[in-house]
Amino acid sequence: MEDLVSVLDVKKNLYATAMVLVLGAVVAHGQIFSSAQSRSTLKTDPVAFLYPENVTVPAGKPSAVELHFRVAQGLHINSHTPSDDYLIPTTFSIPDGAGARLEAASYPAGSTISLPIDPKTKLSVYTGEFAITARIVAAAGNHAVQAKLRYQACDQNECLPPKTITVPIQVTGK
Amino acid sequence: MRRNTLVLIAVLFILAIFAWAGWANWEYRQQAAAKLLAPTAKGELVPSGAGDTMAFNSPLIGKAAPPFALEDMNGKKVSLESYRGKAVLINFWATWCGPCKIETPWLVELRGKYEAQGFEVLGVDTEGDDLKKSDLAGWAKDKGEIAKFVEQEKMPYPVLVDGDSISEPYGGLDSLPTSFFVDRNGVVVAAMMGLTSESEIENNIRKALAN
Repeated sequence: MEDLVSVLDVKKNLYATAMVLVLGAVVAHGQIFSSAQSRSTLKTDPVAFLYPENVTVPAGKPSAVELHFRVAQGLHINSHTPSDDYLIPTTFSIPDGAGARLEAASYPAGSTISLPIDPKTKLSVYTGEFAITARIVAAAGNHAVQAKLRYQACDQNECLPPKTITVPIQVTGK
Repeated sequence: MRRNTLVLIAVLFILAIFAWAGWANWEYRQQAAAKLLAPTAKGELVPSGAGDTMAFNSPLIGKAAPPFALEDMNGKKVSLESYRGKAVLINFWATWCGPCKIETPWLVELRGKYEAQGFEVLGVDTEGDDLKKSDLAGWAKDKGEIAKFVEQEKMPYPVLVDGDSISEPYGGLDSLPTSFFVDRNGVVVAAMMGLTSESEIENNIRKALAN
């Protein structure tokens, strides 16, 4: 009788394990699916800072740091030199008192696109991944710099309000 | 029994590691693919996602349009209530919005076509900068940009400022242009988010005029 109970316990646990495995697979799949979904809509952050998170530069000397960003699929943001003066340019800045200052920023040229509904108007935009080269001057020591990127994103039919995101970079001046 | 519990915990642990490894691998591959494709990006747009419907299902449809009173370009308060008895298109737009610039001439034309039947457009500028009332320099800059846009597009209808202050009752105004079509009784009969077509806008104007 004890043997029978033991066999039943093992079966119960096997069933429970199988259920957990199935549940785990469903949850994992759901996570991937929902992530893929969120990337394809306007509800995501239009621009993400990719790298670098840490940079080491000679203290007190202007140094070039290449900062990489990605625009969400299906969206574009105006380049630093938009095709019309009513459009908001993409701009990188470092607030005062951050331990490092921005001497100059070099922006990539924008891609030229036109919207299907208005093929005559050419827009200068960034899509996919783009990089801004910032010439920064850092004092000696470690500085948690909260740089800023201001941009305004659209897709082919609608536009999102202008946004300023924080670009966190750990800058070490040596 | 105790051994089985240990086996179950071990299986769960291994499962968790597999799930994490799979997730991390998927994320890594996504990033690697994005980096690989970045230099070849030509700025082509892909179709909007399924959630980006133009005639969006606003919860305001069938309900009274939220009341508001905003200043026009001359500083005079204009209320939605004062248009009761007319069909009104409340068009939220911004000076930095390319699709709004494409849409505005359509609104000007349709306003001219249906004005005699009791139709009006209220262009509500919504810059999205949430300026404080005390930021006089910010307001002056915004009003300068708005005046320039109004002049360029020859907008004959009332243009109101500070749409940001009424964004909440109008569903947040996540993107522009966004339009609400209000009938003669002050009820929202249709709503649109994003650039559609002149004919779709006209259909909604007719719907607003019919009620």
